[in-house]
Amino acid sequence: MTSTGSGPSRREAPGRRVLPRPMAALAEQRQRAMVSRPPLALAWRQLRKHRVALIGGVILIILYTMSLFGDFIAPYSLDYTDRERFFHPPTLPRVVDAEGRWHLRPFVYRTELVDPGLRKYRIVTDRTYPLDVFVRGEPHRLFWIFPTTLHLFGVDPAARLFLMGTDQFGRDLFTRILYGSRISLIIGVLAVGITIPIGLLYGGIAGYYGGRVDNIMMRLVEVIIAFPGFYLFLTLSAVLPTDVGCATRFYLIVIILSFLGWTGFSRLIRGFVLSLKEREFVLAAKAIGLDDLRIIIRHILPNTSSLVIVVATLSIPGAILGESGLSFIGFGIREPCASWGNLLTAGANLPNLAQSPWLLLPGVFIILAVVAYNFLGDGLRDAFDPRLRSS
Amino acid sequence: MRRMAIAVGVAAILLVGGIVPLGAQQPKLTLPGIPNPGVASYAPEIGKYGGTYVISQISDPRTFNPIVAQDTASTAVTGALFEALVDQDYLTGEIVPGLAESWTVSQDGRTWTFTLREGIKWSDGQPLTTEDVAFSAQAIFTDGVDNSAVDLLTFQDQPLRWRVLDKRRIQFITPRAICPVGIFLRLIGAIDVVPKHKLADALAKGGAEFNRTWGINVNPKELVGTGPFILQSYVPGQRLTLLRNPNYWSVDKRGQRLPYLTRYILLIVPNLEQSRLKFLAGETDFYSARPREFAELKAQERQGSFAVYDGPETFGSEFLVLNQNPAGVGSGGLTPAQLSWFQDVRFRRALNHAIDRNTIVQQVYAGRATPSWSPISVGNKLYVNTNVPQYPYNLDRAQQLLAEAGYRKGADGLLRDAQGNVVEFTLQTNAGNTDREAIGNILRQDFVKLGMRVTFAPEAFPSLVSKLTGSYRWQAIIIGLTGGIEPSSGRNVYLSSGDLHMWRPNQEKPVNEWEAEVDRLFEQAACETDQAKRKTLYARWQQIYSEQAPMMWFSNPKTQPAVRNTIGNIKLGLQGVTGTLETRYYKTVYK
Amino acid sequence: MLRHIVQRLLNLIPLLFGVTLISFIIIQLSPGDFLSEMRLNPVVSSETVEAMRRNFGLDQPLHIQYLKWLRAIFLRGDLGYSFAYHVPVTWLIGSRLLNTLILNLAALVIAWLVAIPIGIHAATRQYSFSDNTLSMTAYLGISTPTFFSGLLLLLFAFKTRLLPIGGMTSLDYEFFPWYGKVLDVARHLVIPATVLAFTASAGLMRQMRGNLLEVLRQDYVRTARAKGLAERPVIYKHAVRNAINPLITIFGFEIGGLLSGSAILENVVGWPGLGRLILEALVQKDLYVVMGSLLIGSITLVLGNLVADILLAFADPRIRYD
Repeated sequence: MTSTGSGPSRREAPGRRVLPRPMAALAEQRQRAMVSRPPLALAWRQLRKHRVALIGGVILIILYTMSLFGDFIAPYSLDYTDRERFFHPPTLPRVVDAEGRWHLRPFVYRTELVDPGLRKYRIVTDRTYPLDVFVRGEPHRLFWIFPTTLHLFGVDPAARLFLMGTDQFGRDLFTRILYGSRISLIIGVLAVGITIPIGLLYGGIAGYYGGRVDNIMMRLVEVIIAFPGFYLFLTLSAVLPTDVGCATRFYLIVIILSFLGWTGFSRLIRGFVLSLKEREFVLAAKAIGLDDLRIIIRHILPNTSSLVIVVATLSIPGAILGESGLSFIGFGIREPCASWGNLLTAGANLPNLAQSPWLLLPGVFIILAVVAYNFLGDGLRDAFDPRLRSS
Repeated sequence: MRRMAIAVGVAAILLVGGIVPLGAQQPKLTLPGIPNPGVASYAPEIGKYGGTYVISQISDPRTFNPIVAQDTASTAVTGALFEALVDQDYLTGEIVPGLAESWTVSQDGRTWTFTLREGIKWSDGQPLTTEDVAFSAQAIFTDGVDNSAVDLLTFQDQPLRWRVLDKRRIQFITPRAICPVGIFLRLIGAIDVVPKHKLADALAKGGAEFNRTWGINVNPKELVGTGPFILQSYVPGQRLTLLRNPNYWSVDKRGQRLPYLTRYILLIVPNLEQSRLKFLAGETDFYSARPREFAELKAQERQGSFAVYDGPETFGSEFLVLNQNPAGVGSGGLTPAQLSWFQDVRFRRALNHAIDRNTIVQQVYAGRATPSWSPISVGNKLYVNTNVPQYPYNLDRAQQLLAEAGYRKGADGLLRDAQGNVVEFTLQTNAGNTDREAIGNILRQDFVKLGMRVTFAPEAFPSLVSKLTGSYRWQAIIIGLTGGIEPSSGRNVYLSSGDLHMWRPNQEKPVNEWEAEVDRLFEQAACETDQAKRKTLYARWQQIYSEQAPMMWFSNPKTQPAVRNTIGNIKLGLQGVTGTLETRYYKTVYK
Repeated sequence: MLRHIVQRLLNLIPLLFGVTLISFIIIQLSPGDFLSEMRLNPVVSSETVEAMRRNFGLDQPLHIQYLKWLRAIFLRGDLGYSFAYHVPVTWLIGSRLLNTLILNLAALVIAWLVAIPIGIHAATRQYSFSDNTLSMTAYLGISTPTFFSGLLLLLFAFKTRLLPIGGMTSLDYEFFPWYGKVLDVARHLVIPATVLAFTASAGLMRQMRGNLLEVLRQDYVRTARAKGLAERPVIYKHAVRNAINPLITIFGFEIGGLLSGSAILENVVGWPGLGRLILEALVQKDLYVVMGSLLIGSITLVLGNLVADILLAFADPRIRYD
């Protein structure tokens, strides 16, 4: 999972074993550049000049904000089901009515099911339903804590506001994409959040002690790396209990992602530490008798901070793709919970897709998030290390 | 061989035209060496020879050994290669002659004598004899042969016995008078006859060896059968190609040897979507559409040059079952309070009123289903009782029933029992089955409206099954069963002693008076030879089940087979079967 | 060098042993077994299910099951027996192996043929319009899940009827002459191979571009230019060769992924490969098929890594194995 955005053969997301290579290059070149490592401020200045990275950053800020306020922004609740309106096309707010009159306030029309088999809906134009802001709707908990019924926008319940259409059960896709983002966007961050400390410590210890300790520790890493990533990923997720709630399953998948991810990263750190441990400041720390763990944590690992930031940013998209792939084939997040991957499963039905192309929208969100992370990651890499500039 | 068959066919036409007026008494039709061939009298049209018929299925066969084959992917293939002594008429469900041309039963109902048609040959030219039939039965009873027919052919712990009288006659002897009656011939019809000369060596080496014989890695030439087709090639993950068996023993109304088709191909696709795509793209000739697809396919009939048929209901159905088993109390399973609610028939009836069957029919099946109130499908005209008590969707009525039973809805909107416990439970189904997941969502929403706290948690099929049949730690489950025509095939489910008596399995003796009555009804019906009386007994059973509501059926989905217009002899039968393979033909044959 | 290779090969044995042990443990952690489905069949008695359990050896203690399986591998190269298909796992895997290999090799060839020239093109015209377009396309390539692009192309095939929808060969494949067979498979390859090659070439192109840009900044290139050498020979004779060298490692890793790189996509487009086999086996709990697939996948992977190292040693005279 610790892959980089520049991983050359990004085929099946988590199966990318290729990654060590660009990271190794990164580490190697970073070491060469060590002496003149720019401080954070300098890196920030570099980053600000990197237009693509800024675009990535802005996209991510928007996505995460939408995710955080998801239940407030969503006009409906996660399991709101309109039994009458499945595969309903998106109802986009309009400003011109059926008679050609312009309206200041966007509005929608009511729809009626004409033919359930062919999913035909008729737009009823007898009256308009203006878009309201800060409306009362279904109860939810803002930030998972504050119970409220307030929603950012909505329409009169007689009409529906399906911004991105509905799925096969008549659930609002836009709402589910928002809720799904909480899984898809956070899973990567969490997985990397687990991977990095483990990798740092494991790789740090192996690299620092070297010799037999290193040998044994690296054997374990090699065994895990020897698995074809996606096969192992599948096998592991087949083991997960399925009768647990969404949250539990979510954390279990995070753990699986981390289980696969820490190895590559610890290898990278090990190589880096191996080269650092003979340097003056380490020798000096040893000379004044500091204990090993302290030296590793306080003196050696901080030197890897910029490397960690870059690798972390470039690993998250891998985790996002991994989760979506897994959920897509039904091994990851399952109904009734929503993630971008399993929302796309409904779209795997091609004839449906041909009729209801909006079912592809979750995929667009996956790509958007992953592209944004890659933009940002590349920018960070360039900023931290001008010698690695590739664009 | 084929040219000869056609020549015989022409002769037969002349004969028919010359002597007998249309549609009158059947003339005696024969095939060279087969004086009494099977006659496909039900096929509406006389077909043409030639052509390829292509269908798709979503998994690879697991074996070509018909004795061992259990899954539909395998039986779809072995069904075209092998046959049994008797066959089931797909239109009426009646038992009709197969490899055996006739049978008799002794006065005490224990000894059944079957006579093989004369002159039937295996596809390698060897003659079929009763030794092959006896060998097939023996294979089923051999230790270690993976087979489920053995359970059906064992009566009160005693196996079926048989005796070869001569080359054409074989006797089957049952330990006692055959109960269940209706099912015996169907059981004989489940024994596919396999060639002794090909399989005897394998069986001699034991069950394990036999299970592996005729696996999917077999050389197709080894697969010798009596069915209408023979296997030409199997490409794993891609397709099976079957060719016409020139030795087949059945003819059409004009005496032409069947089957008409030259090739029969089964494409293997990864999922139903691909199956549908291939049909729409014209790559396959048949697609068994799901209810929701009916209208859409209907609209494309002309453009795609196919027809979608408005088929009858299937025999299977989905239902909700609540755990009433005291052994299920414990962590992950039931709380004592839940057990007492689920055992309370008033509670079950209230829930039954909260099941919105019309919405299920509309939303899950797009109107292509019929609400169901009984364990027997509406599609099973032979046995269904349509006069059982019904529970129309009515939340007020449900609320009222709950109130009468002592459940109160509090100010917080939550329903509590008389002891003050909040009514809450976990509703499960097997994950990945979108129909059941959709039903679960509908049910949950309505139960919540009654003030219950219901969690809907789909779970992987294997672990769900281990709960149902092993640990009993579950609360409420939505699951489905497929059914046969005879209700007695579901004994394991409906008898109180059954393994699959899900709400409270393996009872030593019936816990409730109504369960005792059901047990008695089944025993009586089993040995009842009069079809009408059987129907009355089973009607009473359906009545009880509906009153007691241990299982709450939702609906019986309809079938909607879609067939390319180039394929002839299509006539809808039970469960939407469109005809038989051997009478199917290709209307325009390209040369 | 040879000694190094032998040494590495010997090291693989304990490694693969670890792989089998871990996979066995993981699979055993999951609830239910192959017979779960049969237990819910009304006509099968629990005695019959038990008898089948004994037949499959599933009633034995776990460590015995594992050791028996391991012993068969060492003695006969036998990967065990599929419960579902009643055939040896080696046969089952063998029947799918070639298909997966064909798909991944085709994708690999396309990716390299496309990515290298494009990478060179982009690097030599840094920040030009075409460079920027290509870079953005590459970003899209590395960010699009294969199942998504696969779906889109299938949709395209469905709407236009230009390409076959899924599968690997046509009905009349057996009747085609050899070139017809090749063309037929090629036609079916278009969608899945394009999808895989799109993602792979995006990464490769970025790498090639980056490498070449770096080489072009090197002193010797500057010197060559300063000496007045023409631009083309500088780039194609000197710079490109040095820029390609680091990609050799990638090539090795790609070889390692030949069997496992297309797992999801195979299931989306219906390619009859290993990915579909393992997914099906996992769902059915067909124990030894899962174990066998994992093992075969691992072997290809580690061998691929080895190949990468060897190729690198040949390409870069600075690397020497003692």
